[in-house]
Amino acid sequence: MSLFDALSVSASGMSAQRTRAELLTENLANAETTRTPEGGPYRRKDAVFATDYGVSPFASVFEAQTGDGAGGGLAGVGVADITVDNREPERRYQPGHPDADAEGYVAFPRINPAEDMVDLMGAARGYEANVAAVAAVKDMIQHSIDLFH
Amino acid sequence: MLDGLASHIEHYMDLLSVRQKLVASNIANADTPGYKTRDIDFQQEFQSAIGNEPPAVIEAPGLKIKNDGNNVSMDRESRLLAENALRFQVATELMRSEIQTLRSAIQEGSGS
Repeated sequence: MSLFDALSVSASGMSAQRTRAELLTENLANAETTRTPEGGPYRRKDAVFATDYGVSPFASVFEAQTGDGAGGGLAGVGVADITVDNREPERRYQPGHPDADAEGYVAFPRINPAEDMVDLMGAARGYEANVAAVAAVKDMIQHSIDLFH
Repeated sequence: MLDGLASHIEHYMDLLSVRQKLVASNIANADTPGYKTRDIDFQQEFQSAIGNEPPAVIEAPGLKIKNDGNNVSMDRESRLLAENALRFQVATELMRSEIQTLRSAIQEGSGS
């Protein structure tokens, strides 16, 4: 039962939001990609978050040994799954394009840049909130340490 | 030696750390579908016997649930984050003055 656990929880939040931001920037970068190793156009990816009770393995083992498990386990967050958008690709008429089909249509990823930009802002704000939590907890720990002086 | 007030301050600081950990946990899960805000009943935990029992974690009441089943309010959490840090600072200053009192008693004794 120490404040250091809270740092692990916030770190898990930062890591999850970072993963989400990475996927969103990947989506924006690939908004016009028509070729992928799996074949067909790029498909939009997104992260699914899930509560994770094992963010601080050291603390959980330590508390199990000392019988000091207060608070019923701290809930961190983790990326449970990365979903791939299975909507039909957007078909644009571009007969000169090397990936055009027999009718002259090219399958482009169904990506709405506005949607991804808004999600990206959400991820950035979520990251900032976790950084603020780290700063607040760090101050509390520092004040406790200052009691020794 | 450090009893009475000091043990109350210690209990207060313990509760504040538990609450701050839950706030950090809520902020980390602000985008987790289905996650419900967790908190402790601070007043009740503080008034109940200054004890060894870990405080009971409850679901924070009266928060609006969003479409994905998550009810973390960032305004509430940032307020609690700042409030807990400030309260903790007050508690450490009080504890420091308690320790200072004891220390001056020790030093006066060695001086004569």
